[in-house]
Amino acid sequence: MATSKLKTDRPTYASDFIPSDVERAVFLGNPVLDNMMTSLIALGAEVWSNRRRMKVVEALLAEKGVTAEMIETYMPTAEQDAEWQKDRDRFIDLTYSPLLREGDLPVSAAFTRENK
Amino acid sequence: MLDRRSLFAATAAVGSFVGAALGGRKAQAATTYTSKNLSPAGDVNKRGTKGRFERIPELDLESKWDFVTGFRKFQQGFSPVAKARINKILEAKGIDPKTKMSYDEALKLVEDDLLVQTSGRTWVSNQQITWKIFQDYYHENADQYLDEMEAADNVGPGTLELNPDMEIPTYIQHEIHIQPGGYVGDAFAGHIYHHGTNSFSAGIPFLGDNEQDQIPIRSVERLPLPEDGKVMRILDMGCGIGRMTVALKERFPEAEVWGIDASGPLVRYAHMRANDLGIDVNFAQRLGEDAKFEDGYFDMVVSSIINHEIPSEDNKKVIAEAYRLVRTGGYYYPIDFRTSGDKGTAYNQYRRWWDHRWNCEPWSPEFVAFDFEGEIEKAGFTINRETKPAQFGFGARHSVKNA
Repeated sequence: MATSKLKTDRPTYASDFIPSDVERAVFLGNPVLDNMMTSLIALGAEVWSNRRRMKVVEALLAEKGVTAEMIETYMPTAEQDAEWQKDRDRFIDLTYSPLLREGDLPVSAAFTRENK
Repeated sequence: MLDRRSLFAATAAVGSFVGAALGGRKAQAATTYTSKNLSPAGDVNKRGTKGRFERIPELDLESKWDFVTGFRKFQQGFSPVAKARINKILEAKGIDPKTKMSYDEALKLVEDDLLVQTSGRTWVSNQQITWKIFQDYYHENADQYLDEMEAADNVGPGTLELNPDMEIPTYIQHEIHIQPGGYVGDAFAGHIYHHGTNSFSAGIPFLGDNEQDQIPIRSVERLPLPEDGKVMRILDMGCGIGRMTVALKERFPEAEVWGIDASGPLVRYAHMRANDLGIDVNFAQRLGEDAKFEDGYFDMVVSSIINHEIPSEDNKKVIAEAYRLVRTGGYYYPIDFRTSGDKGTAYNQYRRWWDHRWNCEPWSPEFVAFDFEGEIEKAGFTINRETKPAQFGFGARHSVKNA
Protein backbone atom coordinates (compact mmCIF):
# COMPACT_ATOMS: atom_id res chain seq x y z
CA MET A 1 0.00 0.00 0.00
CA ALA A 2 1.03 3.59 -0.55
CA THR A 3 -0.32 6.92 0.56
CA SER A 4 -0.98 10.02 -1.48
CA LYS A 5 2.05 11.88 -2.79
CA LEU A 6 0.32 15.15 -1.95
CA LYS A 7 1.22 16.24 1.55
CA THR A 8 -1.47 18.42 3.09
CA ASP A 9 -3.38 18.64 6.33
CA ARG A 10 -6.58 19.45 4.47
CA PRO A 11 -9.23 16.82 3.75
CA THR A 12 -8.56 15.17 0.40
CA TYR A 13 -10.86 12.11 0.61
CA ALA A 14 -8.00 10.13 -0.92
CA SER A 15 -7.25 6.71 0.51
CA ASP A 16 -4.37 4.26 0.40
CA PHE A 17 -3.60 2.69 -2.93
CA ILE A 18 -1.61 -0.20 -4.36
CA PRO A 19 1.19 1.23 -6.51
CA SER A 20 1.87 -0.17 -9.94
CA ASP A 21 5.36 -1.47 -10.65
CA VAL A 22 5.37 0.05 -14.14
CA GLU A 23 8.51 2.04 -13.29
CA ARG A 24 10.39 -1.26 -13.27
CA ALA A 25 9.14 -2.41 -16.66
CA VAL A 26 11.75 -3.23 -19.29
CA PHE A 27 10.31 -3.69 -22.77
CA LEU A 28 13.45 -3.20 -24.81
CA GLY A 29 15.89 -5.54 -23.14
CA ASN A 30 17.81 -2.75 -21.44
CA PRO A 31 16.28 -0.18 -19.10
CA VAL A 32 18.46 2.53 -20.63
CA LEU A 33 16.72 2.03 -23.96
CA ASP A 34 13.33 2.16 -22.26
CA ASN A 35 14.33 5.36 -20.50
CA MET A 36 15.52 6.93 -23.72
CA MET A 37 12.19 6.20 -25.31
CA THR A 38 10.32 7.92 -22.49
CA SER A 39 12.72 10.88 -22.61
CA LEU A 40 12.25 11.15 -26.34
CA ILE A 41 8.48 11.35 -26.04
CA ALA A 42 8.71 13.84 -23.16
CA LEU A 43 11.07 15.94 -25.27
CA GLY A 44 8.48 15.91 -27.99
CA ALA A 45 5.87 17.22 -25.56
CA GLU A 46 8.17 20.06 -24.50
CA VAL A 47 9.14 21.02 -28.03
CA TRP A 48 5.57 20.87 -29.21
CA SER A 49 4.35 23.07 -26.37
CA ASN A 50 6.90 25.70 -27.40
CA ARG A 51 5.88 25.51 -31.02
CA ARG A 52 2.22 25.74 -30.14
CA ARG A 53 2.83 28.73 -27.93
CA MET A 54 4.66 30.41 -30.78
CA LYS A 55 1.67 29.86 -32.97
CA VAL A 56 -0.43 31.69 -30.44
CA VAL A 57 2.07 34.51 -30.33
CA GLU A 58 2.24 34.75 -34.08
CA ALA A 59 -1.51 34.77 -34.36
CA LEU A 60 -1.75 37.52 -31.78
CA LEU A 61 1.02 39.59 -33.27
CA ALA A 62 -1.17 40.01 -36.28
CA GLU A 63 -3.49 41.95 -34.11
CA LYS A 64 -2.98 45.12 -32.16
CA GLY A 65 -2.03 45.52 -28.51
CA VAL A 66 -0.60 42.12 -27.65
CA THR A 67 -0.57 41.35 -23.91
CA ALA A 68 0.47 38.31 -21.87
CA GLU A 69 -3.13 37.74 -20.90
CA MET A 70 -4.13 37.78 -24.53
CA ILE A 71 -1.53 35.13 -25.28
CA GLU A 72 -2.59 32.97 -22.37
CA THR A 73 -6.27 33.07 -23.21
CA TYR A 74 -6.11 32.95 -26.97
CA MET A 75 -8.79 30.61 -28.33
CA PRO A 76 -7.83 29.02 -31.64
CA THR A 77 -10.42 28.93 -34.37
CA ALA A 78 -11.61 25.60 -35.68
CA GLU A 79 -9.58 26.24 -38.84
CA GLN A 80 -6.48 27.05 -36.84
CA ASP A 81 -6.99 23.96 -34.70
CA ALA A 82 -7.20 21.80 -37.80
CA GLU A 83 -4.15 23.43 -39.36
CA TRP A 84 -2.15 23.15 -36.15
CA GLN A 85 -3.07 19.54 -35.71
CA LYS A 86 -1.81 18.85 -39.21
CA ASP A 87 1.46 20.50 -38.30
CA ARG A 88 1.56 18.51 -35.07
CA ASP A 89 1.14 15.28 -36.99
CA ARG A 90 3.96 16.31 -39.37
CA PHE A 91 6.12 17.01 -36.34
CA ILE A 92 5.31 13.65 -34.78
CA ASP A 93 5.91 11.89 -38.06
CA LEU A 94 9.35 13.48 -38.42
CA THR A 95 10.36 12.73 -34.88
CA TYR A 96 8.98 9.27 -34.33
CA SER A 97 8.56 7.55 -37.67
CA PRO A 98 12.14 6.25 -37.33
CA LEU A 99 10.82 4.04 -34.55
CA LEU A 100 8.88 2.10 -37.15
CA ARG A 101 12.06 1.27 -39.11
CA GLU A 102 12.67 -2.44 -39.34
CA GLY A 103 16.47 -2.63 -39.80
CA ASP A 104 17.99 -6.07 -40.24
CA LEU A 105 21.70 -5.60 -40.97
CA PRO A 106 24.20 -6.01 -38.14
CA VAL A 107 27.03 -3.50 -37.84
CA SER A 108 29.40 -6.16 -39.11
CA ALA A 109 27.38 -6.84 -42.26
CA ALA A 110 29.48 -7.18 -45.40
CA PHE A 111 29.48 -4.17 -47.73
CA THR A 112 28.08 -5.19 -51.07
CA ARG A 113 29.83 -2.85 -53.48
CA GLU A 114 29.46 -2.54 -57.18
CA ASN A 115 32.07 -1.32 -59.65
CA LYS A 116 31.07 -1.99 -63.20
CA MET B 1 -16.74 33.58 -21.93
CA LEU B 2 -18.51 31.72 -19.17
CA ASP B 3 -17.15 31.47 -15.67
CA ARG B 4 -17.47 28.28 -13.69
CA ARG B 5 -20.90 27.95 -12.21
CA SER B 6 -22.00 31.02 -14.13
CA LEU B 7 -25.04 29.21 -15.45
CA PHE B 8 -26.65 29.13 -12.06
CA ALA B 9 -26.22 30.27 -8.53
CA ALA B 10 -26.91 28.74 -5.19
CA THR B 11 -29.06 30.58 -2.70
CA ALA B 12 -28.65 27.95 -0.03
CA ALA B 13 -25.95 25.51 0.87
CA VAL B 14 -26.47 21.80 0.66
CA GLY B 15 -24.65 19.66 3.21
CA SER B 16 -21.89 17.59 1.71
CA PHE B 17 -22.42 14.73 4.10
CA VAL B 18 -25.84 13.44 3.34
CA GLY B 19 -25.37 10.27 5.28
CA ALA B 20 -25.80 6.68 4.32
CA ALA B 21 -28.83 6.44 6.60
CA LEU B 22 -30.76 8.41 4.03
CA GLY B 23 -29.96 5.92 1.32
CA GLY B 24 -32.98 5.03 -0.75
CA ARG B 25 -34.47 8.48 -0.67
CA LYS B 26 -33.36 11.57 -2.39
CA ALA B 27 -31.08 12.87 0.27
CA GLN B 28 -31.80 16.56 0.01
CA ALA B 29 -34.65 18.44 -1.60
CA ALA B 30 -33.57 20.34 -4.67
CA THR B 31 -32.44 23.81 -3.78
CA THR B 32 -34.00 26.77 -5.55
CA TYR B 33 -31.62 28.83 -7.60
CA THR B 34 -32.74 32.30 -8.42
CA SER B 35 -29.80 34.31 -9.62
CA LYS B 36 -27.19 33.76 -12.29
CA ASN B 37 -23.56 34.55 -12.89
CA LEU B 38 -22.43 33.65 -9.41
CA SER B 39 -18.75 32.86 -9.22
CA PRO B 40 -18.27 31.48 -5.71
CA ALA B 41 -15.21 32.05 -3.59
CA GLY B 42 -12.43 29.61 -4.39
CA ASP B 43 -13.61 29.25 -7.96
CA VAL B 44 -10.69 28.56 -10.31
CA ASN B 45 -11.14 29.20 -13.98
CA LYS B 46 -7.99 30.50 -15.55
CA ARG B 47 -8.69 30.30 -19.24
CA GLY B 48 -12.44 30.20 -19.67
CA THR B 49 -14.62 27.47 -21.11
CA LYS B 50 -15.00 25.91 -24.52
CA GLY B 51 -18.56 24.71 -24.79
CA ARG B 52 -19.12 22.59 -21.68
CA PHE B 53 -15.41 22.04 -21.11
CA GLU B 54 -13.37 24.19 -18.76
CA ARG B 55 -10.18 24.75 -20.68
CA ILE B 56 -6.97 23.14 -19.43
CA PRO B 57 -5.66 25.75 -17.00
CA GLU B 58 -2.35 26.67 -18.65
CA LEU B 59 -1.44 27.05 -22.28
CA ASP B 60 1.71 24.93 -22.04
CA LEU B 61 -0.18 22.20 -20.20
CA GLU B 62 -2.86 22.26 -22.87
CA SER B 63 -0.17 21.99 -25.55
CA LYS B 64 1.42 19.01 -23.83
CA TRP B 65 -2.01 17.41 -23.65
CA ASP B 66 -2.38 18.13 -27.34
CA PHE B 67 0.95 16.44 -27.98
CA VAL B 68 0.30 13.25 -26.01
CA THR B 69 -3.10 13.04 -27.70
CA GLY B 70 -1.49 13.40 -31.13
CA PHE B 71 1.07 10.81 -30.13
CA ARG B 72 -1.70 8.36 -29.25
CA LYS B 73 -3.10 8.80 -32.75
CA PHE B 74 0.35 8.25 -34.21
CA GLN B 75 0.81 5.28 -31.92
CA GLN B 76 -2.13 3.55 -33.61
CA GLY B 77 0.26 3.23 -36.56
CA PHE B 78 2.25 0.72 -34.56
CA SER B 79 -0.58 -1.79 -34.70
CA PRO B 80 -0.14 -2.83 -38.35
CA VAL B 81 3.65 -2.69 -38.03
CA ALA B 82 3.76 -4.85 -34.89
CA LYS B 83 1.11 -7.18 -36.28
CA ALA B 84 3.08 -7.69 -39.51
CA ARG B 85 6.23 -8.37 -37.51
CA ILE B 86 4.48 -10.89 -35.29
CA ASN B 87 3.03 -12.61 -38.33
CA LYS B 88 6.54 -12.89 -39.79
CA ILE B 89 7.71 -14.48 -36.54
CA LEU B 90 4.79 -16.90 -36.64
CA GLU B 91 5.40 -17.80 -40.27
CA ALA B 92 9.07 -18.44 -39.57
CA LYS B 93 7.97 -20.93 -36.93
CA GLY B 94 5.32 -22.49 -39.17
CA ILE B 95 2.41 -21.18 -37.08
CA ASP B 96 -0.76 -19.92 -38.76
CA PRO B 97 -1.18 -16.22 -37.73
CA LYS B 98 -4.87 -16.92 -37.03
CA THR B 99 -3.99 -19.49 -34.37
CA LYS B 100 -5.54 -18.63 -31.03
CA MET B 101 -3.18 -18.90 -28.11
CA SER B 102 -2.68 -18.05 -24.46
CA TYR B 103 -0.90 -14.97 -23.13
CA ASP B 104 2.17 -17.04 -22.24
CA GLU B 105 2.37 -18.58 -25.69
CA ALA B 106 2.10 -15.19 -27.38
CA LEU B 107 4.63 -13.52 -25.06
CA LYS B 108 7.23 -16.22 -25.65
CA LEU B 109 7.04 -15.49 -29.36
CA VAL B 110 7.46 -11.71 -29.14
CA GLU B 111 9.25 -10.85 -25.93
CA ASP B 112 12.68 -10.48 -27.55
CA ASP B 113 11.53 -8.57 -30.60
CA LEU B 114 12.43 -4.92 -30.14
CA LEU B 115 10.13 -3.58 -32.85
CA VAL B 116 7.11 -5.27 -31.32
CA GLN B 117 8.17 -4.19 -27.86
CA THR B 118 8.60 -0.59 -29.04
CA SER B 119 4.86 -0.57 -29.71
CA GLY B 120 4.17 -1.38 -26.06
CA ARG B 121 6.95 0.80 -24.65
CA THR B 122 5.91 3.95 -26.50
CA TRP B 123 2.28 3.51 -25.48
CA VAL B 124 3.16 3.06 -21.83
CA SER B 125 5.67 5.94 -21.84
CA ASN B 126 3.13 8.27 -23.41
CA GLN B 127 0.54 7.21 -20.85
CA GLN B 128 2.99 7.88 -17.99
CA ILE B 129 3.78 11.35 -19.36
CA THR B 130 0.07 12.13 -19.74
CA TRP B 131 -0.60 11.40 -16.08
CA LYS B 132 2.57 13.05 -14.81
CA ILE B 133 1.98 16.44 -16.43
CA PHE B 134 -1.45 16.72 -14.83
CA GLN B 135 -0.56 15.33 -11.42
CA ASP B 136 2.45 17.68 -11.25
CA TYR B 137 0.29 20.66 -12.19
CA TYR B 138 -2.48 19.97 -9.67
CA HIS B 139 -0.06 19.20 -6.87
CA GLU B 140 1.91 22.38 -7.55
CA ASN B 141 -1.35 24.33 -7.36
CA ALA B 142 -3.00 22.16 -4.73
CA ASP B 143 -4.26 24.82 -2.36
CA GLN B 144 -6.30 26.74 -4.89
CA TYR B 145 -7.89 23.56 -6.27
CA LEU B 146 -8.63 22.23 -2.78
CA ASP B 147 -10.22 25.63 -2.06
CA GLU B 148 -12.30 25.25 -5.17
CA MET B 149 -13.54 21.78 -4.24
CA GLU B 150 -14.28 22.82 -0.68
CA ALA B 151 -16.37 25.71 -2.01
CA ALA B 152 -18.23 23.39 -4.35
CA ASP B 153 -18.84 20.60 -1.80
CA ASN B 154 -21.53 22.61 -0.09
CA VAL B 155 -23.48 24.04 -2.99
CA GLY B 156 -25.95 22.56 -5.44
CA PRO B 157 -28.04 22.16 -7.45
CA GLY B 158 -27.06 18.54 -6.82
CA THR B 159 -25.97 16.82 -3.61
CA LEU B 160 -22.75 15.16 -2.54
CA GLU B 161 -22.21 12.40 0.01
CA LEU B 162 -18.67 11.51 1.01
CA ASN B 163 -17.89 8.52 3.22
CA PRO B 164 -14.21 8.81 4.13
CA ASP B 165 -14.47 5.93 6.61
CA MET B 166 -15.89 3.54 4.04
CA GLU B 167 -13.80 0.43 3.52
CA ILE B 168 -12.46 0.61 -0.03
CA PRO B 169 -12.20 -2.84 -1.67
CA THR B 170 -8.60 -3.67 -2.50
CA TYR B 171 -9.48 -4.47 -6.11
CA ILE B 172 -10.11 -0.79 -6.76
CA GLN B 173 -7.02 0.39 -4.86
CA HIS B 174 -4.68 -0.51 -7.70
CA GLU B 175 -3.25 2.28 -9.82
CA ILE B 176 -5.71 1.52 -12.60
CA HIS B 177 -4.43 2.73 -16.00
CA ILE B 178 -1.17 3.54 -14.16
CA GLN B 179 -2.82 6.82 -13.13
CA PRO B 180 -0.73 7.96 -10.15
CA GLY B 181 -2.71 7.06 -7.05
CA GLY B 182 -5.34 5.36 -9.21
CA TYR B 183 -8.99 6.25 -8.70
CA VAL B 184 -8.80 6.53 -4.94
CA GLY B 185 -5.31 7.64 -3.87
CA ASP B 186 -5.04 11.23 -5.02
CA ALA B 187 -7.07 14.29 -4.05
CA PHE B 188 -7.14 15.30 -7.72
CA ALA B 189 -7.94 11.87 -9.16
CA GLY B 190 -10.99 13.36 -10.90
CA HIS B 191 -9.14 16.29 -12.44
CA ILE B 192 -6.32 14.05 -13.65
CA TYR B 193 -8.66 11.34 -14.92
CA HIS B 194 -10.79 13.83 -16.85
CA HIS B 195 -7.92 15.13 -18.95
CA GLY B 196 -6.18 11.77 -19.26
CA THR B 197 -9.24 9.95 -20.52
CA ASN B 198 -10.05 12.75 -22.96
CA SER B 199 -6.62 12.10 -24.44
CA PHE B 200 -7.16 8.33 -24.41
CA SER B 201 -10.47 8.41 -26.26
CA ALA B 202 -9.32 11.01 -28.79
CA GLY B 203 -6.50 8.63 -29.70
CA ILE B 204 -8.84 5.74 -30.45
CA PRO B 205 -10.69 6.08 -33.76
CA PHE B 206 -13.89 4.32 -32.71
CA LEU B 207 -14.24 6.42 -29.54
CA GLY B 208 -13.08 9.86 -30.71
CA ASP B 209 -13.17 13.25 -29.04
CA ASN B 210 -14.85 13.45 -25.65
CA GLU B 211 -14.09 17.02 -24.64
CA GLN B 212 -17.78 17.94 -24.93
CA ASP B 213 -18.85 14.62 -23.32
CA GLN B 214 -19.71 13.28 -26.75
CA ILE B 215 -19.20 9.65 -25.69
CA PRO B 216 -21.55 9.56 -22.66
CA ILE B 217 -24.11 11.73 -24.43
CA ARG B 218 -24.09 9.37 -27.42
CA SER B 219 -24.34 6.31 -25.15
CA VAL B 220 -27.23 7.75 -23.16
CA GLU B 221 -29.11 8.69 -26.32
CA ARG B 222 -28.93 5.05 -27.39
CA LEU B 223 -30.25 3.64 -24.13
CA PRO B 224 -33.74 2.14 -24.51
CA LEU B 225 -36.73 3.19 -22.42
CA PRO B 226 -38.31 0.70 -20.01
CA GLU B 227 -41.24 -1.00 -21.71
CA ASP B 228 -43.78 1.14 -19.83
CA GLY B 229 -41.82 4.31 -20.63
CA LYS B 230 -41.62 5.30 -16.95
CA VAL B 231 -38.30 6.82 -15.91
CA MET B 232 -38.45 8.45 -12.49
CA ARG B 233 -35.17 7.34 -10.95
CA ILE B 234 -31.86 6.36 -12.50
CA LEU B 235 -28.64 5.09 -10.97
CA ASP B 236 -25.23 5.39 -12.62
CA MET B 237 -23.25 2.68 -10.86
CA GLY B 238 -19.51 3.39 -10.72
CA CYS B 239 -20.04 6.88 -12.06
CA GLY B 240 -16.42 8.06 -11.92
CA ILE B 241 -16.37 11.77 -12.72
CA GLY B 242 -20.09 11.73 -13.49
CA ARG B 243 -20.10 12.38 -17.20
CA MET B 244 -22.75 9.78 -17.92
CA THR B 245 -24.67 10.76 -14.79
CA VAL B 246 -24.97 14.30 -16.12
CA ALA B 247 -25.90 13.07 -19.60
CA LEU B 248 -28.66 10.93 -18.06
CA LYS B 249 -30.16 13.94 -16.31
CA GLU B 250 -29.99 15.92 -19.53
CA ARG B 251 -31.93 13.23 -21.37
CA PHE B 252 -34.35 12.60 -18.49
CA PRO B 253 -34.68 16.03 -16.84
CA GLU B 254 -37.62 15.01 -14.66
CA ALA B 255 -35.86 11.97 -13.22
CA GLU B 256 -34.00 11.78 -9.93
CA VAL B 257 -30.51 10.77 -11.00
CA TRP B 258 -27.81 9.31 -8.78
CA GLY B 259 -24.18 8.51 -9.41
CA ILE B 260 -22.24 6.33 -6.97
CA ASP B 261 -18.57 5.44 -6.94
CA ALA B 262 -16.11 3.94 -4.45
CA SER B 263 -13.76 6.89 -4.90
CA GLY B 264 -14.21 10.02 -2.79
CA PRO B 265 -12.04 12.22 -5.02
CA LEU B 266 -13.94 11.12 -8.13
CA VAL B 267 -17.44 11.81 -6.81
CA ARG B 268 -16.21 15.09 -5.36
CA TYR B 269 -14.99 16.20 -8.76
CA ALA B 270 -18.17 14.84 -10.37
CA HIS B 271 -20.30 16.96 -8.04
CA MET B 272 -18.25 20.09 -8.68
CA ARG B 273 -18.44 19.63 -12.42
CA ALA B 274 -22.18 18.88 -12.44
CA ASN B 275 -22.70 22.05 -10.46
CA ASP B 276 -20.62 23.98 -12.97
CA LEU B 277 -22.93 22.72 -15.67
CA GLY B 278 -26.00 23.55 -13.59
CA ILE B 279 -27.18 19.93 -13.56
CA ASP B 280 -29.14 18.66 -10.56
CA VAL B 281 -27.73 15.19 -9.92
CA ASN B 282 -26.77 13.44 -6.70
CA PHE B 283 -23.40 11.85 -6.09
CA ALA B 284 -22.46 9.51 -3.30
CA GLN B 285 -19.32 7.62 -2.34
CA ARG B 286 -20.76 4.13 -2.13
CA LEU B 287 -20.06 0.69 -3.54
CA GLY B 288 -21.81 -0.95 -6.46
CA GLU B 289 -22.02 -4.11 -4.35
CA ASP B 290 -23.74 -2.22 -1.52
CA ALA B 291 -25.49 0.83 -2.93
CA LYS B 292 -27.77 1.36 0.10
CA PHE B 293 -30.95 2.24 -1.79
CA GLU B 294 -34.32 0.56 -1.22
CA ASP B 295 -35.27 -2.53 -3.21
CA GLY B 296 -36.70 -1.67 -6.63
CA TYR B 297 -35.91 2.03 -6.24
CA PHE B 298 -34.68 2.60 -9.78
CA ASP B 299 -36.27 2.36 -13.20
CA MET B 300 -32.83 2.12 -14.78
CA VAL B 301 -29.46 1.07 -13.36
CA VAL B 302 -26.67 1.76 -15.83
CA SER B 303 -22.90 1.80 -15.78
CA SER B 304 -20.10 2.69 -18.13
CA ILE B 305 -16.92 0.61 -18.43
CA ILE B 306 -16.62 -0.36 -14.79
CA ASN B 307 -17.15 -4.13 -14.89
CA HIS B 308 -13.78 -4.88 -16.47
CA GLU B 309 -12.20 -3.13 -13.47
CA ILE B 310 -13.85 -5.61 -11.09
CA PRO B 311 -12.93 -9.24 -10.28
CA SER B 312 -15.50 -11.83 -11.36
CA GLU B 313 -16.72 -12.71 -7.87
CA ASP B 314 -17.33 -9.03 -7.10
CA ASN B 315 -18.97 -8.53 -10.50
CA LYS B 316 -21.49 -11.19 -9.46
CA LYS B 317 -22.24 -9.14 -6.33
CA VAL B 318 -22.65 -5.98 -8.43
CA ILE B 319 -25.07 -7.77 -10.75
CA ALA B 320 -27.04 -9.08 -7.75
CA GLU B 321 -27.21 -5.57 -6.30
CA ALA B 322 -28.39 -4.18 -9.64
CA TYR B 323 -31.13 -6.81 -9.67
CA ARG B 324 -32.19 -5.79 -6.17
CA LEU B 325 -32.27 -2.09 -7.11
CA VAL B 326 -34.19 -2.31 -10.38
CA ARG B 327 -37.99 -2.24 -10.15
CA THR B 328 -40.05 -4.81 -12.01
CA GLY B 329 -40.21 -3.72 -15.66
CA GLY B 330 -37.06 -1.66 -15.31
CA TYR B 331 -33.62 -2.60 -16.54
CA TYR B 332 -29.90 -2.86 -15.87
CA TYR B 333 -27.60 -1.88 -18.70
CA PRO B 334 -23.88 -2.20 -17.98
CA ILE B 335 -21.86 -0.75 -20.87
CA ASP B 336 -18.53 -2.52 -21.15
CA PHE B 337 -16.29 -4.44 -23.51
CA ARG B 338 -17.36 -7.66 -25.13
CA THR B 339 -16.19 -10.78 -23.35
CA SER B 340 -14.56 -12.94 -25.95
CA GLY B 341 -12.58 -15.48 -23.96
CA ASP B 342 -9.01 -15.65 -22.74
CA LYS B 343 -7.38 -16.79 -25.98
CA GLY B 344 -6.67 -14.81 -29.12
CA THR B 345 -4.22 -14.32 -31.95
CA ALA B 346 -0.61 -13.69 -30.97
CA TYR B 347 -0.87 -10.00 -31.77
CA ASN B 348 -4.13 -9.48 -29.86
CA GLN B 349 -2.80 -11.40 -26.89
CA TYR B 350 0.35 -9.30 -26.81
CA ARG B 351 -1.72 -6.08 -26.80
CA ARG B 352 -4.09 -7.42 -24.19
CA TRP B 353 -1.16 -8.48 -22.07
CA TRP B 354 0.62 -5.13 -21.88
CA ASP B 355 -2.66 -3.35 -21.36
CA HIS B 356 -3.34 -5.69 -18.44
CA ARG B 357 0.16 -5.87 -17.00
CA TRP B 358 1.66 -2.48 -17.79
CA ASN B 359 -1.37 -0.24 -18.14
CA CYS B 360 -2.55 -1.76 -14.87
CA GLU B 361 -5.84 -3.34 -15.83
CA PRO B 362 -5.63 -5.94 -13.05
CA TRP B 363 -8.90 -7.69 -13.78
CA SER B 364 -9.20 -7.43 -17.56
CA PRO B 365 -8.05 -11.01 -18.36
CA GLU B 366 -10.56 -12.28 -15.82
CA PHE B 367 -13.26 -10.09 -17.34
CA VAL B 368 -12.76 -11.22 -20.94
CA ALA B 369 -13.12 -14.81 -19.73
CA PHE B 370 -16.16 -13.97 -17.57
CA ASP B 371 -19.59 -15.19 -18.66
CA PHE B 372 -21.09 -11.74 -18.11
CA GLU B 373 -24.36 -12.32 -19.94
CA GLY B 374 -24.74 -15.74 -18.28
CA GLU B 375 -24.29 -14.24 -14.82
CA ILE B 376 -26.75 -11.44 -15.58
CA GLU B 377 -29.35 -14.02 -16.57
CA LYS B 378 -28.55 -16.19 -13.55
CA ALA B 379 -29.34 -13.17 -11.35
CA GLY B 380 -32.86 -13.09 -12.81
CA PHE B 381 -32.66 -10.59 -15.66
CA THR B 382 -33.71 -11.33 -19.22
CA ILE B 383 -31.29 -9.89 -21.77
CA ASN B 384 -33.03 -8.27 -24.72
CA ARG B 385 -30.89 -9.49 -27.61
CA GLU B 386 -32.50 -7.08 -30.07
CA THR B 387 -31.05 -3.99 -28.37
CA LYS B 388 -28.02 -2.51 -30.07
CA PRO B 389 -24.89 -1.55 -28.14
CA ALA B 390 -25.13 1.84 -26.45
CA GLN B 391 -21.46 2.31 -27.30
CA PHE B 392 -20.15 1.15 -30.67
CA GLY B 393 -17.78 -1.80 -30.30
CA PHE B 394 -19.02 -2.70 -26.81
CA GLY B 395 -21.37 -5.41 -25.58
CA ALA B 396 -25.17 -4.89 -25.60
CA ARG B 397 -26.53 -6.01 -22.25
CA HIS B 398 -30.02 -4.57 -21.96
CA SER B 399 -31.09 -6.64 -18.96
CA VAL B 400 -34.80 -6.46 -18.13
CA LYS B 401 -36.29 -7.37 -14.77
CA ASN B 402 -39.52 -9.15 -15.52
CA ALA B 403 -42.37 -9.75 -13.09
